[in-house]
Amino acid sequence: MAVITVKNLSKSFKVKTKEKGLKGSLKSIIKTKYKIIKAVKNISFSVEKGEMIAFIGPNGAGKSTSIKMMTGILYPDKGSIDILGLNPVKERKKLAYEIGCVFGQKEQLWTHLTPYDNFRFFGAIYDIPNSRVEKKINELKELFELDDFINTPVRNLSLGQRIRCEIVASLIHEPKILFLDEPTIGLDPVVKENIRVLIKRMNKEYKTTVVLTSHDVSDIEKLCKRVIIVNNGSIVLDDTMENLKYHYLNKKIVDAKMKEQVNLDDEDGITILKDKGYNLKIEVDTKKKSVSDALKLLNPDNIIDINISNVPLEQIISDIYKEGDK
Amino acid sequence: MLTAVKNQIKVSFLSTRYALEREMLNKVTFITNIIFMILNNSCFIVQWIILYSIKDNIGGLGFKELLLLWGLAAGTFGFARFFCESAFNISDAINKGTLDNYLVQPKNVLLSYITSTVQVSCLGDMLYAYIMLFIYGITVKSFILFTFFCINGALIVVALAIIFGSLSFWFGRVELVADTMNSLMVNFATYPDGIFKGIVKILFYTIIPLEFVNYIPIRLIIDFNLNSFIIVIAVTIFFISLAFIIFYQGLKRYSSSNLMNVRI
Repeated sequence: MAVITVKNLSKSFKVKTKEKGLKGSLKSIIKTKYKIIKAVKNISFSVEKGEMIAFIGPNGAGKSTSIKMMTGILYPDKGSIDILGLNPVKERKKLAYEIGCVFGQKEQLWTHLTPYDNFRFFGAIYDIPNSRVEKKINELKELFELDDFINTPVRNLSLGQRIRCEIVASLIHEPKILFLDEPTIGLDPVVKENIRVLIKRMNKEYKTTVVLTSHDVSDIEKLCKRVIIVNNGSIVLDDTMENLKYHYLNKKIVDAKMKEQVNLDDEDGITILKDKGYNLKIEVDTKKKSVSDALKLLNPDNIIDINISNVPLEQIISDIYKEGDK
Repeated sequence: MLTAVKNQIKVSFLSTRYALEREMLNKVTFITNIIFMILNNSCFIVQWIILYSIKDNIGGLGFKELLLLWGLAAGTFGFARFFCESAFNISDAINKGTLDNYLVQPKNVLLSYITSTVQVSCLGDMLYAYIMLFIYGITVKSFILFTFFCINGALIVVALAIIFGSLSFWFGRVELVADTMNSLMVNFATYPDGIFKGIVKILFYTIIPLEFVNYIPIRLIIDFNLNSFIIVIAVTIFFISLAFIIFYQGLKRYSSSNLMNVRI
């Protein structure tokens, strides 16, 4: 059952433009020129209940604008959005009871209050009786391991602890869909991994649908089974993570330490990435040449050590962004 | 519907309480802000003492009535800025895109936003207001009417701040216009209306509606009249409705932002 259905969604912004310098500023007072920026162009997709999808794209691609339209923050110019049968434009308040939002760049907690007091405040915002809020806080405290700092003012918490509290605050009212807009921004790798584990646990425990935007490929790879890539306001790819890897992982990286130097110049399907005499790094296009054929060219008896790996997902996504730009 | 209103009021009061707690973290600043506001207001009375030593009646008001006017003005702006300080920064919030957090909550965006900060020095204004009422002569009737008109006037002042601030949805940075209009209200509010004539008087009934904020209420506290009372209430409802209409019409043009921000 689809919990999010977006059809032909578009949004433009009117932005003032001006020429350089003071002269430009004076001119713009007399005659203001505007530029229309099409942030989102006719996008359509749907999300099933319990799915964890990655909504990714380069800066300015239109992903945050799309999420803001889905959550009722922005009004769309064209198209329709259906979130759990509700229209975010007309039924913003009703929708707010059903969704949770975490914006990594915008803190919603009161920094002078403790996480516990903040959660109580959020309970009041969502009209939850005190006894139920207490129960929910205890439950989420366990799940997100907040015990050590639940009574410490938010301003004294580390960034990782704060983000955990932000996520808990957005779960107090048991939302059916959680929008996470760059939740791991600015966190160190250990804390990032911790947050990912907790999000995964939450999805498993409550069957919450998660829409995630992130610039960190590991977030996407470890959390989401489906990815929607947006570039220049349009969807350039909507596929499962498995398919993405299957279709785009047709290149292998071979890193070999050789006894003797080998010349692979002009070999079809092979790109030399690094050649430092006895150390060679090549990229094999498996559509043109199999890995075993490439290894034959290297001569197995000539190899001291070898490592064969996939092209990093980061590079695949970056290539898709570039294709979208064309 | 009634439960929704009750819940909204509960959240707004909680918000004000937390904002006040935040200000109280720094005790010295908290107390000095209040005391200096009372002293600041008191200083202006000196010039009136000198003027009233020359003339018994200025603009239709005697010295005691003038103290009541000062008290009502301080109370009105005190209540407005203490409970709804953010209404005076609405233009900034629109331009910086800080309404996002309120838009994803199941509450009235405008009410949740305007009650999210308090101006502590305004507690000084509120205290000063009641000191002036005490000097004027406090009775049960004058206390009730005075408190009612402080709140009623505050509602008009806040509504106007929202109206002027919401122009940012259409015209971008209008903080200066909004600030000027708010300052005009404060500056004129402490002078007896009898000294103003012509165009200024028209302004007092329209875009700087001080007649309904302070002047008619003063006359009503001195000598109650039902018709004028009903007119004041009707005007208040008009300005509040207008503020809501303009804000929500403008909200359709809200463009948010990706600026980093923290609720401090």
